[in-house]
Amino acid sequence: MIRAQNVTKYFGGFPALKNISFEVAKGEIIGFLGQNGAGKTTLMRVLTTYLPASAGKVYIAGMDVSRRSLEIRRRVGYLPENPPLYGNMTIREYLKFAARLKDIPHRQQRPHVERVLKDCDLWEARDKVIATLSKGYKQRVGIAQAILHEPELLILDEPTSGLDPAQILQVRRLIKSLEYRRTVILSTHILSEIEQMAQRVLIIKSGEILADSSIENLLKGPGGTSEDGRRVCLRVQGVRLDLEPAIGGIPGIKLARWASENNTHGIDLEMTHPSGDFNELAEKVARAGGRILEIKESKVSLEEVFLQISGNKDLSHSSRA
Amino acid sequence: MGMKRGIMRKIFAIAKKELASHFKSPVAYLILVITISVFNVFFFMILDENREASLRDIFKVMEFMFVFFIPILTMKTFAEEKFTGTMEFLMTTPTSSTAIVLGKYLGSLLFFTLIILATSVYYVMIEFFSSPDRAAILTGYLGIWLEGAFFIAIGILTSSWTRHQVVAAISSYVIVFLVYFSVSFIKYFQGTAESLIRYVCTMTHMENFAAGLLTVTDLVYYLSGILFCLVCTRISIENRLWH
Repeated sequence: MIRAQNVTKYFGGFPALKNISFEVAKGEIIGFLGQNGAGKTTLMRVLTTYLPASAGKVYIAGMDVSRRSLEIRRRVGYLPENPPLYGNMTIREYLKFAARLKDIPHRQQRPHVERVLKDCDLWEARDKVIATLSKGYKQRVGIAQAILHEPELLILDEPTSGLDPAQILQVRRLIKSLEYRRTVILSTHILSEIEQMAQRVLIIKSGEILADSSIENLLKGPGGTSEDGRRVCLRVQGVRLDLEPAIGGIPGIKLARWASENNTHGIDLEMTHPSGDFNELAEKVARAGGRILEIKESKVSLEEVFLQISGNKDLSHSSRA
Repeated sequence: MGMKRGIMRKIFAIAKKELASHFKSPVAYLILVITISVFNVFFFMILDENREASLRDIFKVMEFMFVFFIPILTMKTFAEEKFTGTMEFLMTTPTSSTAIVLGKYLGSLLFFTLIILATSVYYVMIEFFSSPDRAAILTGYLGIWLEGAFFIAIGILTSSWTRHQVVAAISSYVIVFLVYFSVSFIKYFQGTAESLIRYVCTMTHMENFAAGLLTVTDLVYYLSGILFCLVCTRISIENRLWH
């Protein structure tokens, strides 16, 4: 669906995108992840033909973005970071206007508008003036506009930013409901969002792609601290001098972190123990006179992976604590 | 054929939206009320003073008023869309830059035409009480309409340069003033420069229209001026580096 080759974009002398290449297959849902200013929006603007790339090529549905922009725009739905709405129009007026500009045949305009009004849960509010709407509504109007012409490719720039938790859930559910038919690109700096919505993630930093992989691979990949093993958090009561050799001596267990407060210890372990259960661990702890308060298996979070890959290790530690 | 019709539809859709947004804004109503009341006052003053059945001096007043109000009318056309981000919406729909520029131009031109139509009351009054030179009034109206159309094109061009409406208004004031008043500086120039300034100045052309003279030079002047500004506007919105 998308093929980007060595895309570079300069603003004056400043490189916003450096030699970016990637491909997106049809029907894929892909997340652009990066901090603010990483280049996500610029990349999206190049994909939507809004900005021309300084160098490199982008093909969407086999068409060169720089040559056949109008045709590509017919196939792409785009929600910019701030929903592009006319405050003095009602939702319906706005969507009608959008339908006219998006080449929807005259007779189909009304059914299209009514369909997205229902899909985006805007039916009740359809005759309200946009300026008076809450942020969640505005965001949904923005999404309605983006899906109005049933695009093959949907590009959403931070679709949930600035919304309250209930609105975030609404928008997420809406995007989820769209995905089965379309290729979707969404950007965010919220990691859990990518984890929930996308199958694949591109991590972007300072205009470069740092990682391009599926969420699964990313979580156990080179960025993660546990190789094949599981990471276990343990809370134990007892004497450290007895406990430490006892636990550390178990084959297949590596101590990663030990924090003590009086006689209570928080321990991070990496387990490659063949049996995979905690029997031996419990036994050894009991024999050393300790008491297990809590055992919790923890997965490497996307957040840690992200921060590690983007080379911000200090933050990664503090976020774990 | 279908393609052409599609473009026309989009131009009308944008023009309709522009016209509607003028009527939704208090600024436009203010302009409407102020200009019409000022015209009224001057109409009776001039009529009382000259005691002749012509709109010749009225056209001068109109021309002068338009220099002031058209930049206010047009300042938001592109600047507001850039500021609120709707420009990104327009430019990512399958609508060509030409259609966007023409639609916006047409919308403002229609609003301006409505104001001109409202002043036709004066003509009716003069016609009612005497027998004016109809040809001169007709060409005068054509002239004033073309002049307004030219100023609107200038205003739309400056609005496409910036995301701040005030900057757009000030820039178009500068250009419109230069174009309108340039004839006042003519005594400092000679030869080619002098005739160039005489050509560029709107006043010299408007005088002919108001006197009932319809010349190709004057028509070409306004039409080429409008075309030039619209082409520049298209280039300016295409060139996204100007953000």
